[in-house]
Amino acid sequence: MNWTDVLAFARGPLFQVALLVFIAGMAYRLVRVIFLGWQVDKVPARGSKVGGAAISFLKGILIWPFVPWVKNTFKKNPVIYLAGGLFHLGLFVVLVLGTAHMLVWKSLLGFGWKTLPLPIVDWMAAVTIVAMITLFINRLINPVLKLITGPAEWANLAIVFVPMVTGYMMTHHLWFRYEALFSLHMLAVDVLLIWIPLSRISHFMFYFFSKAIHGADFGKRAVEP
Amino acid sequence: MESQIVLDTFIKETGGYVASQLEACTRCGMCAEACHFYQATGNPEYAPVWKIELLKRAYEQRFTLVGKAKLLLGIDKSITDTDIADFSKIVYEACTMCNKCSMVCPMGIQLGPLIHEVRSGFSEAGVVPADLMAAVEKQVEEGSPLGVTDDVYESRLEWVADEWEVELPMDVKGADTLVIFSSIEIMKFPENIAAIAKILNAAGENWTLSKKAREVVNFGFYEGNEERTIMFLQRVFDGAIELGVKKIVVTECGHAYDALRWTSYNLMDVPKGIEITHIVGLIGDYLRTGKIKLKEGAFNDGVVTFHDACKIQRRGGHIKEPREILHVLSPDAFKEMSPSHEESICCGGGGGVIAIKEADPIRYAAFGLKIDQMEKIGATTVVMSCSNCRLQFTDCVQHFNLDVKVAGLSQMVADALVE
Repeated sequence: MNWTDVLAFARGPLFQVALLVFIAGMAYRLVRVIFLGWQVDKVPARGSKVGGAAISFLKGILIWPFVPWVKNTFKKNPVIYLAGGLFHLGLFVVLVLGTAHMLVWKSLLGFGWKTLPLPIVDWMAAVTIVAMITLFINRLINPVLKLITGPAEWANLAIVFVPMVTGYMMTHHLWFRYEALFSLHMLAVDVLLIWIPLSRISHFMFYFFSKAIHGADFGKRAVEP
Repeated sequence: MESQIVLDTFIKETGGYVASQLEACTRCGMCAEACHFYQATGNPEYAPVWKIELLKRAYEQRFTLVGKAKLLLGIDKSITDTDIADFSKIVYEACTMCNKCSMVCPMGIQLGPLIHEVRSGFSEAGVVPADLMAAVEKQVEEGSPLGVTDDVYESRLEWVADEWEVELPMDVKGADTLVIFSSIEIMKFPENIAAIAKILNAAGENWTLSKKAREVVNFGFYEGNEERTIMFLQRVFDGAIELGVKKIVVTECGHAYDALRWTSYNLMDVPKGIEITHIVGLIGDYLRTGKIKLKEGAFNDGVVTFHDACKIQRRGGHIKEPREILHVLSPDAFKEMSPSHEESICCGGGGGVIAIKEADPIRYAAFGLKIDQMEKIGATTVVMSCSNCRLQFTDCVQHFNLDVKVAGLSQMVADALVE
């Protein structure tokens, strides 16, 4: 077996299986949480729950996700804010607005979109990798993070890190043969896809729950979330 | 053994609300810097995310495949009695349930309510700090954690009526509004009772007090015990039903307001047709509708500031009213602390913390943040609408020997009433 075979396997059948595991796994997680049951809130509201949730989402996604809306939050968490913010932004740029990834989306969805020029995407990829390393170091030294970080958190970081680095290396033809890097990149992506439903990387789905709950909880008290 | 009870309670309480929020946590640790106890001490165990650690572990190990696998592989440990004892100290002594952390959380997780669930588990297992539990038991037996028995209540109110020459209607059937004081006001701030009575009388409110519903404080709610929370709420509602009132007014007590206004409906059958509000909301209405008139600039000396209480402002929504009132009373002297409004820093004494002697050092440490805030604007008077905050402020001002006057909002309003 050579790298070409590995690549064909990693981006072919294995990718399809990984994608399936990802979708089924996330669906299971979603259904599982929803079916744990919800108490009907009988408290008469002072303000609007829907309005509160809307503001909560507006602040969280549509306007600018990484603005620290609450005073002093940025000042007290500059590393997590900057590195965390840039990491997510970079991820979005590379995965959605990078041509190579858009073509993957196109093959899956049947339609494509305009992408950003490679140098911009490339710089964002570098920023994302630096941000990730920063978050890693921060987790090593911050006393609170040291306390709450276990093997699962380290695994998450590592499993997200490998596709990013191999992807960057392959666009720059660094050190290894292109096919080898591409294969490693795809294998790492497959592992990531399978790992997401098993880990807290799935937070992007539960974000919509917690943000809505937060907004409704504040909104019903007529307090801005 | 206790750990099993805690675990069972956690599992019983874990529905979609708890689970979805536990799943949303990314373990970023940002909530730590929002917590006054963490900020004041730097102890990582006071990080809000750590306070829900056992709830998270119970959820993962019971409901998720990964959690079960982690337990099997020995990566995660099951909850032990030692854990319970350690965490009991953390969630009761180093948390005022102020919920500031939820505002900072990028995922918007409602950490305050989740920590309340943790307390529930501990209360079922009976692992609650002794001081807090003594107060709860006192409220079960005597009807009040501060020993306000029927006799004490009557004689105390009689004295207030005499001392401040104010009419205090008692058990008036058919009154519109039932006003319930907290025992903190009755025992420590009796001037508040006179002040609130004066305001209600000036506004021509058809109000009454009740012997049955004479304690608004709910130590069962501090403890996180559903059964006792309901027991104390029921006493209040029984009084209200007996007198046939249309409105219950919670006076300057934060936790009681949270329990009555924002929690009771989901715990029990609240008598229909009764509106529950807070005295600050009521005074705000009086002022807006012209039912009371206040002397403009009655307290216009020095620098007057307002401390937002977690349960009345951030989690009660009465943020505008105190400002409207203070803009009349102290138009030039009024100055906001930073941060304020819903982002306010907690006094450090709420959530039952002030009742626990062992928590004194961190309670005083947390107040350091308030001192900084007040000093930055040179505050000479700090006003608040919560007796529990006021108890903490009064105690700490004395402890740190500060030159700041601590005032209750109702009392200032009463003093500035124009006939």
